Amino acid sequence: MTTAVTFQNVSRHFGTVKAVDGVDLTIAEGSFFAMLGPSGSGKTTCLRLISGFEKPTGGAIRIFGEDVSNTPPHLRNVNTVFQDYALFPHMNVRDNVAYGLMVKGMGRSQRHAKAEEMLALVKLDAYGGRKPAQLSGGQRQRVALARALVNEPRVLLLDEPLGALDLKLREAMQDELKALQHKLGLTFVFVTHDQHEALSMADSLAVFNEGKIAQIGSPQDIYDRPATRFVADFVGSSNVLPPDLTRALGGPPEWASLRPEATRLAASGPVSGPVTALRYLGSGTRVVLDLKGTEVAALVPAGQPVPAEGATSAIGFDPKDLHLMGAA
Amino acid sequence: MLSERSPLSLRAAAIGGLLFLHLPILLIFLYAFTTEERSFQFPPPGLTTQWFTTAWYDRPDIWPPLWLSLKVATIATSIALILGTLVAAAMTRTAFFGRDQISLLILLPIALPGVITGMALRSAFGIMDIPFSVWTIVLGHATFCIVIVYNNAVARLRRLSGGIMEASADLGANAFQTFRHVLLPNMGSALLAGGMLAFALSFDEVIVTIFTAGSGAEAKTLPIWMLDELIRPRQRPVTNVVAIVVFAATFFPILAAYYLTRGGSETAGMGK
Repeated sequence: MTTAVTFQNVSRHFGTVKAVDGVDLTIAEGSFFAMLGPSGSGKTTCLRLISGFEKPTGGAIRIFGEDVSNTPPHLRNVNTVFQDYALFPHMNVRDNVAYGLMVKGMGRSQRHAKAEEMLALVKLDAYGGRKPAQLSGGQRQRVALARALVNEPRVLLLDEPLGALDLKLREAMQDELKALQHKLGLTFVFVTHDQHEALSMADSLAVFNEGKIAQIGSPQDIYDRPATRFVADFVGSSNVLPPDLTRALGGPPEWASLRPEATRLAASGPVSGPVTALRYLGSGTRVVLDLKGTEVAALVPAGQPVPAEGATSAIGFDPKDLHLMGAA
Repeated sequence: MLSERSPLSLRAAAIGGLLFLHLPILLIFLYAFTTEERSFQFPPPGLTTQWFTTAWYDRPDIWPPLWLSLKVATIATSIALILGTLVAAAMTRTAFFGRDQISLLILLPIALPGVITGMALRSAFGIMDIPFSVWTIVLGHATFCIVIVYNNAVARLRRLSGGIMEASADLGANAFQTFRHVLLPNMGSALLAGGMLAFALSFDEVIVTIFTAGSGAEAKTLPIWMLDELIRPRQRPVTNVVAIVVFAATFFPILAAYYLTRGGSETAGMGK
């Protein structure tokens, strides 16, 4: 398997602000790679380091083996779908899509034919003559996608491309992007702050925190075995247990995570506490207990008895489901 | 309509104010057709179009000031278009120490009274031993023309999303291609509007011109020639004919600039 993008101890410091700090990263060719993290965590700066709008202050970046640390954006064989789409307002959709071919010197009829082909791919065949202002948000997003793809980039960068769309459209576009990536076999690098989006779309993902990668792995790795407290908190839905609670439950005095699906209610146990919240989910009920000041959720499958709010209960779990992690 | 009709007295006052401001302009037009050539008397004793013929055929003294004014306005506008756009680009695309202070300094010539600008330039020319010429007038005019172009260019640049420049580079365009295919088409109407306004302002500028033009006949722009004509009455309506020309040369560019930048957040004329 070839690697599309490699970061070797890459840093981008702005004065004293370490936007990206010592990042090592390998993105496999043909994969759908997500960069996940809260705003300011360095994920967008990493994307801009690949596109060339930022230069690393340390380390080396390789795209298909070639060191591009000093290559300007217009000479890199990568294209970006920008967060606000950045369509050219004075050009119609066809000329927007054909722009990359025009600046490379391709003739008018040839580039327009290619642009129409790309517009058909994103299901906008009839829209070539319109101006971007006459399109909906979802349509603009497709134009931005077509405009990037027509250049046949080896890596496609997507900067929160679905952020501006409403929920229903976003879900539809998620499926479509994934299908498109599969069909074209391209490497997609996708930046998002939405953990569900990252987990459901990516083949592998990097979770960013304060300019560093907190964890890199498959969605399942990251969901089931978060490396740090930050990852468990950010990716969500897992219970995060402080060291004293872990020890009270029979583990070593370390931070640990425990998935609600692996947690069951027990009549008695080493630690018990009152039920503070109940949420009926259809396939079961999510019961939240207050154990020594920490909220711990357990999933009670449908058909089993559910305690009342305020009742006291304890938890049980298989020790192999208790996942220990670093404190960072 | 949600708003109530304003009271009659307020509307009458508003209409009165507008008439007071604009009727004298109509009088300028009217006196270009009067048969009385020594004083402006109302109503005119008779109407004639002879002054247009006189101005065209018998008054060679009109042409040098007219050409001078056109020349000065053209050169000052060209300088302003280049420098004003460059400054605007620097102010919006880069951040540096003291940027806000420099932006204030750029706007200053339009806020300063013309007399101050004129005096300052005149003494500077004196100290540096620069003889008065067309170029000193051009310099004087360029100080405020740059501000007009700058204001229009900055407003447009702020409104343009910076993303489209990056998108252009991302799609493989070099800096020149980005300028030619993305920046210029989006800046065009703002620069045209700024340029026309600058031209109009330069064309009828009097105060700074008096300070920077010296005293010879070769330094007489059209507005200054008109001022002289009013003091020394001789074929007075000819001055009004010229006034109509000045009106056309300044009003239509300003009107065009207004329509070009309408609907945007542009500050087309601001000040002056």
